Amino acid sequence: MPKPKAATDATTESPVITVLRQHAEEQFAEELSELDHADAGKQRPPNWRLSPWAVKQYLLGGTLPNGFVITPKYIGNERLIEIAVATLATDRALLLYGLPGTAKSYVSEHLAAAVTGDSTLLVQGTAGTDESTLRYGWNYALLLVQGPSTAAMVSSPMMRAMQDGKVARIEELTRIPAEVQDTLITILSEKTLPVPELNTEVQARKGFNVIATANNRDKGVNELSSALLRRFNTVILPLPATMEEEVTIVEGRVAALGRALELPAEKPALEEIRRVVTIFRELRDGLTTDGKTKLKIPSGTLSTAEAISVMNSGLAMAGYYGDGELRASDIAAGLTGAIVKDPVQDRAVWLEYLQTVVKDRDGWKDLYRACQEVL
Amino acid sequence: MAVHIFGIRHHGPGSARAVRDALTALEPDCLLVEGPPDAQEALPLLMNAGMQPPVALLIYQPDQPSRAVYYPFTVFSPEWQALTYGLGRGIPTRFFDLPQAIQFAREPAPAAPEVGEGGDAPTEPAPTMRAKARSGRRAAAVAEPPDVRDDPLALLAQAAGYSDHELWWEQQIEQRHDATDLFLGVMEAMTALRADAPQRRPDEDLREAHMRQMIRAAQAEGYTRVAVVCGAWHAPALGEEHEAKADAALLKGLPKVAVTATWIPWTNSRLAYRSGYGAGVTSPGWYEHLWHTPAQTTIRWLTKVAGVLRDEGLDTSSASVIEAVRLAEALAALRALPMPGLAEMHEATLTVLCHGEAGRMRVVRDRIEIGERMGAVPPETPAVPLQRDLDAQIKRLRMERTTAIKPLELDLREDAHRAKSQLLHRLQLLGIPWGKPERVSGGKQGTFWEHWTMQWQVEFAVNIIEANIWGNTVALAAVAYARHAADTAHDLPALTTLLDRVILAELPDAADYILDRVENEAAVAADVRHLMLALPPLAKVARYGDVRGTKAQHVLPVLGTLFDRALVGLPLACASLDDDAAQGLLDSLDAVQFSVDLLDDADQRAAWAGALRDLMERETIHGLVRGRCTRLLLNSRALEAAELELRARHALSLVVPPDQAAAWIAGVLRGDSERLLYEDGLWLALDHWLRDLAPETFIALLPLLRRAFADFATPARRKMGDKVKRLSDATPTTATTAGSDAHPIDRARADLTLPVLAQFLGIGKTEGK
Repeated sequence: MPKPKAATDATTESPVITVLRQHAEEQFAEELSELDHADAGKQRPPNWRLSPWAVKQYLLGGTLPNGFVITPKYIGNERLIEIAVATLATDRALLLYGLPGTAKSYVSEHLAAAVTGDSTLLVQGTAGTDESTLRYGWNYALLLVQGPSTAAMVSSPMMRAMQDGKVARIEELTRIPAEVQDTLITILSEKTLPVPELNTEVQARKGFNVIATANNRDKGVNELSSALLRRFNTVILPLPATMEEEVTIVEGRVAALGRALELPAEKPALEEIRRVVTIFRELRDGLTTDGKTKLKIPSGTLSTAEAISVMNSGLAMAGYYGDGELRASDIAAGLTGAIVKDPVQDRAVWLEYLQTVVKDRDGWKDLYRACQEVL
Repeated sequence: MAVHIFGIRHHGPGSARAVRDALTALEPDCLLVEGPPDAQEALPLLMNAGMQPPVALLIYQPDQPSRAVYYPFTVFSPEWQALTYGLGRGIPTRFFDLPQAIQFAREPAPAAPEVGEGGDAPTEPAPTMRAKARSGRRAAAVAEPPDVRDDPLALLAQAAGYSDHELWWEQQIEQRHDATDLFLGVMEAMTALRADAPQRRPDEDLREAHMRQMIRAAQAEGYTRVAVVCGAWHAPALGEEHEAKADAALLKGLPKVAVTATWIPWTNSRLAYRSGYGAGVTSPGWYEHLWHTPAQTTIRWLTKVAGVLRDEGLDTSSASVIEAVRLAEALAALRALPMPGLAEMHEATLTVLCHGEAGRMRVVRDRIEIGERMGAVPPETPAVPLQRDLDAQIKRLRMERTTAIKPLELDLREDAHRAKSQLLHRLQLLGIPWGKPERVSGGKQGTFWEHWTMQWQVEFAVNIIEANIWGNTVALAAVAYARHAADTAHDLPALTTLLDRVILAELPDAADYILDRVENEAAVAADVRHLMLALPPLAKVARYGDVRGTKAQHVLPVLGTLFDRALVGLPLACASLDDDAAQGLLDSLDAVQFSVDLLDDADQRAAWAGALRDLMERETIHGLVRGRCTRLLLNSRALEAAELELRARHALSLVVPPDQAAAWIAGVLRGDSERLLYEDGLWLALDHWLRDLAPETFIALLPLLRRAFADFATPARRKMGDKVKRLSDATPTTATTAGSDAHPIDRARADLTLPVLAQFLGIGKTEGK
């Protein structure tokens, strides 16, 4: 029986400096308060801490009239953030959909922090998530002594968000079993949480809303029922739009991770990163970067995060088994492993890609040979 | 001032509404509209009941039909509204731009009249207020730097803080329901822009001078309320004071060419940017909606979208539509817009109705935002250039149009005949089946003979008008149409069939384009069979295409990648097939074999043989396929007799399920029988297998076996029967004489050697002693 109460008690204590990671509203408290000042005259939806314009600016970054600089939290399509903010402003639940590693949770946290100043009302969706995490549980000791009473109830983050008019966040919505997901339908349409045991209900205050995130590429997840999907506005967060953007992200992350893991190899050549990112993007898009040749798409996600891990394993290979310099043969195994998730279908796709694209590309002969050896 | 100038934006519903209202309020006695005076005679047709927009005014040089301009009109074009107002009221209504006859004469002749400029646009774009088309028309010759005239709105939009000037214009002007003083505002803005504009283009001065002269002429005729509808950019120039003498001098003595004007049907998608029509509107469907639905725009648009999505089988509830409307309005508020525009509609549809899936938006885009629709023109419309071009070609080729059915034989070795064939194939592509190709048995046969059945039909006249949308000459239109067909075809066999037709019609440009498409489609083709079936037409083109002017080196690389992809995918495609699927695959295998044989490339042959061998050796693959692979290897002499015998024994052994064994033999037997008659091992194995079958299994397999032999002619079957009979008769003897049946012993001659042998061995001697 989960006891969410205990977890939330910890967060209400004064923040400890030594935490590994601070909540968004703590880390960016200054930005939020500056925005609050700058935004004073503007209309705010009930119970919002900032106006929709300020929320948008908080996420996308910019400079306030008084010269204060807001750092961008999300780098990408502005319009997507506008849609997300407008969705929350119209009292609709927001579903952030996308591949792993597209900043879904990050955006959700910052939206909650900016809208209600509280990003901690979080439900972690897992296969084991039960109704009490979305509705309420009971303190059984009290329940046995007193019988059903308000005092014996253990409220969920969802319930507290409704009571306080705040934004509840659900992570990995599609991992929650379908019958538990159904609990959300009434909450989202009637904005109420019935408590039949006490013959009462919890009605949501103005400002209550839900931001859910879900992964649209995983297999074996619990697809949302159309009844539930209909209650969400869906925003799909895309992968990095341009090659340059993605290369920059991969380069930065690989360097940071390499330091953290104390890998012995030298910093990877930008050229090698570019090749891996090119392969990933081409296979993901089903089109070569010159736009001339169409390609079959393998079953794996090929996210930026995976490109980063290919580079990292290549670095480890080069460092521990090679001469420290990253070569095609070091990344071939990682590359093949990342792309060939299905031993039959993906292998054919990868082979076809090697034959039709990699083989004839100038300066890619080494990679072609290395990958052929691995296959 | 008796002249009232209305500066408009072409194809803008806001401008159209404003123009109509302004004209109704003004009640002019003479109306001048920006457009070519060459088309004055064609104007009255506009009021004909048969005229259904979108239509385009087409002005072309009769002696050179590929030189032409199109002026498209839709119901929400301000010009269309002005013209219908004027013609409907019976007031003098005139086009007053510089005549196209002069503009053609001033332009250098197009270098390559056969091909339209750029990708999908075989037609010239029509002029717009932004003068983009006019500059674009010459862009091929001189790359001009972009200037304010190309996009006068960009500066205004930029000043207003918009990144997209289209968006700015739409929000400021087109969505405005109340257009009082709109024209004054536009005029003022344009005056300011023109003051800052760099030096003027010569043709712009000419055009404006001509416009002013036409206005003066109207005033001279005594009209007191002259209404002028022109692109906003020109508006200030027409209102300013200019000397009539200077204008007249400028226009004096300009060369002219003969031009003809007519109307042709147009389509909404041709108005859209997507088909490369540079100066069009991105979303004619949206503008049409704005035009027809001034009130409740958002609600009605999203309801329409929901209807389309429902048609496509996607659940779209009214509650979702309500939420989509709310989101669109919230987005507009967030972006400080007076009402949601197309972008907000788009986002609301994507987010709420399509659950974020962009793929579903395509149907919305095609069916509503563009709103595919073809206009119509009345039958009295003068002949279109395509008709003229066709007439000229028919005359040149001395062909005859009759409704009687007549056969036509063409010998492609003769130039005149080849030209006829080319024309007939091109017309076929364009949906004008004047000739139908026939297959003739007997008589003149061979690759250079073509047989047609000719019959002209009256409704071809309509087909020609419709086909004119693709281009003004048969060649141009056929190329454009073929490209279009290639874009819309979504599987490989359809594409290669099209390629075949295009090769026959001798359209190398289109052929190259389709080849590209074939290559792309091949990459994503999920069905390996499609890939394989696509090979023979390509191989034929590569092998025989030179006769038709197609170079093999264009086709060979494409064929090569198709072949490679097919080989990569083949083992997967052969796995776990049922009987029908296996049967289907045989044709594909034969198709690849045909292509390999035809091209006779050593590498391909080796790769193909390797793939066949691989399939043949896999026990898990359907018997029919393995049998066929065996046979194909045998045919190309890649299989020794001994190995065949071994294979046959394995495939026809009792451990193999009988139906698979029967399928194997069916696969082997398919096709020509002669080659097989020499394979004793095969027949022996078959014979043994049949004999060892249990009676009930034999009866169960009988239909399969009968089918395997059904395709052979009776004599061939008899030969096979004899063969097996002879082989099985010989079997007992061969069993005792241990494999010496190939060289039977002649006893008499053998006996002759005995004495000598005996001497060697010393046998006779001992006996003799």
